[in-house]
Amino acid sequence: MGSHAKAWLVEDESAREMLDRVLTERPFLLLPPLHRVPLRVGNVVELAGPSSSSKTHILIQAAITCILPKLWKGVSYGGLGHSAMFIDLDCRFDVLRFSELLNHRIMEAANGSSSKVGCHQKDSEAQFARMKPYNEELFALCMKRFLYIRCYDSSEFLATLKTLHYRLQKEREVHGVNVHLLLIDSIGAFHWVDRGSSSFPLEYDNRKSWHLQNVSEAAVQEIRRLLLVHPMLVMATKAVVLGNKYSTNELTWNYRKWSAVDNPYSRNITSDQQLPYREYMPAAWQSFVTHRILVRATDDDLVNGEHQNNSIYLLEWLLPPLNSLDKFTVRDTGVFILS
Amino acid sequence: MARLANLETEYPVLDSTVRNFCASHGIFSAAFAEQNDSSERLKEGIAQVLSIIDDMHQPWLNGMELLEDAKRNKHVFPTGIQGIDLLLGDGIRVGQLTELVGPSSSGKTQVCLRTASNVARNHMVLYLDTGNSFSPQCIAYFLGKTISPSSAQAKNQFLQKVMSNISCHSVFDIFAMFDVLHQLESYLRCQDGRGCCQMRLLIVDSISSLISPVLGSSSTLGRALMTSAGYLLKKLAHQHNLAVLVSFARVSSVLVWLN
Repeated sequence: MGSHAKAWLVEDESAREMLDRVLTERPFLLLPPLHRVPLRVGNVVELAGPSSSSKTHILIQAAITCILPKLWKGVSYGGLGHSAMFIDLDCRFDVLRFSELLNHRIMEAANGSSSKVGCHQKDSEAQFARMKPYNEELFALCMKRFLYIRCYDSSEFLATLKTLHYRLQKEREVHGVNVHLLLIDSIGAFHWVDRGSSSFPLEYDNRKSWHLQNVSEAAVQEIRRLLLVHPMLVMATKAVVLGNKYSTNELTWNYRKWSAVDNPYSRNITSDQQLPYREYMPAAWQSFVTHRILVRATDDDLVNGEHQNNSIYLLEWLLPPLNSLDKFTVRDTGVFILS
Repeated sequence: MARLANLETEYPVLDSTVRNFCASHGIFSAAFAEQNDSSERLKEGIAQVLSIIDDMHQPWLNGMELLEDAKRNKHVFPTGIQGIDLLLGDGIRVGQLTELVGPSSSGKTQVCLRTASNVARNHMVLYLDTGNSFSPQCIAYFLGKTISPSSAQAKNQFLQKVMSNISCHSVFDIFAMFDVLHQLESYLRCQDGRGCCQMRLLIVDSISSLISPVLGSSSTLGRALMTSAGYLLKKLAHQHNLAVLVSFARVSSVLVWLN
């Protein structure tokens, strides 16, 4: 017994060693356009924005960065070499566009390395033809690391989350790769359907009714449990309606009205985090999120040479609140930061 | 999610020992069960429960499988109208829900009829008409314009064949539409893979007249119906390889329904 007790006191590693180990196993991710705040596994990032504001595109960009390898046959791709899982609740994912973007990234990296050597036109074309089978092999390898599922309602979503642990274990055993990224497209997709179905009670009394809050809590609980065993970065998009003046003004007006009556000094508390949109997700999800970003499209277009006009998007960090607006545009090779 | 007791008839491994074990862990329905190093029987029972839950969601696919499915099944159908085909990138795509939005009398029904006539040459089309705007004369006219001049009899035969590929239903409220779509789903489930002439296009003209009566400003049920209709259409499009075209007349106070 004495030796066992002593064994508890012997140190495993110093703080420096621990930091080294954690930083190599769980590196910080700087994914453009979310490069201002480094993200790690265990973070839950929420991308809010009105429709058509490139939210899904940012998710796809993150997935591509995750599935590309860091180094492959001498060419550096700058990826993570892990798997990514995409849970499509909006059911609008376009796989052809995804494969186009992946191809462009592969070719850009391949061309980038060849141009460094300093060869001129003919040589680079020959090199491109030589690289083609390698590119296709790499493309197939990366696409196999991208896992996709569609859910048409909340019960399918919950069933997916509940069996995800075993799926991930199987993936690890069969392919030997870890999943590093969990992407959820549109976490609020079933909001109205769940709200509507709360009026239908289930037969037995001892079961929980199908409420919006219960569904949300169950989903958050499952993801939390999953993150304990399989550390991943979770990114979710959320469709919001910006500038919903009626409801936000009504809320702030009511609050100001009775806070002024109660206590003249409480006015300071009201306007700390006034969101420019109306938050509709239940509290369980809101408290689960660790980082919040707002994206929207501006009316400006970036004239990109020939005929292409790419729209410019604005990105704002709400949590942690940074006082900066990033402008970016979406090109074939991915997201391109403008300022 | 069914109660475990009710599942015993189907899956005899879920007998009372397994159910007691699950009950001791607070599991009364087919929910996530903690993996425990206990007897083989329990393990079997848990594996069975997990496979039941696995059946409740769509299968996981990897990127290559998705791409192959897209290339093999998800073709593009030209609408027959050059400008629109250019905007859409060659036409409407199987597996996707395409929405035509515009004020009234902006030609949405014409686009729908034109697309129907184009696709009906080779595939079956289901046209859900909400405002009695389906016109067989229009379709015959569009077809007549494009076929080469030949004998009246050949022309007639061609017209007959194409027109018989289009089936038109009138729906006047959203519940009737759900009815028709559920029937379509069961029909397509038996039909998939069989026969040469398959259904490839579903048109709903116009869906706004079905949705706006149920949408009130504060009712959640109306929006739930709208969202479920959207998901049913997307499911039909993806799983049964249909191109879905819906037209939507712009009504000022309605939220964009396909977010």
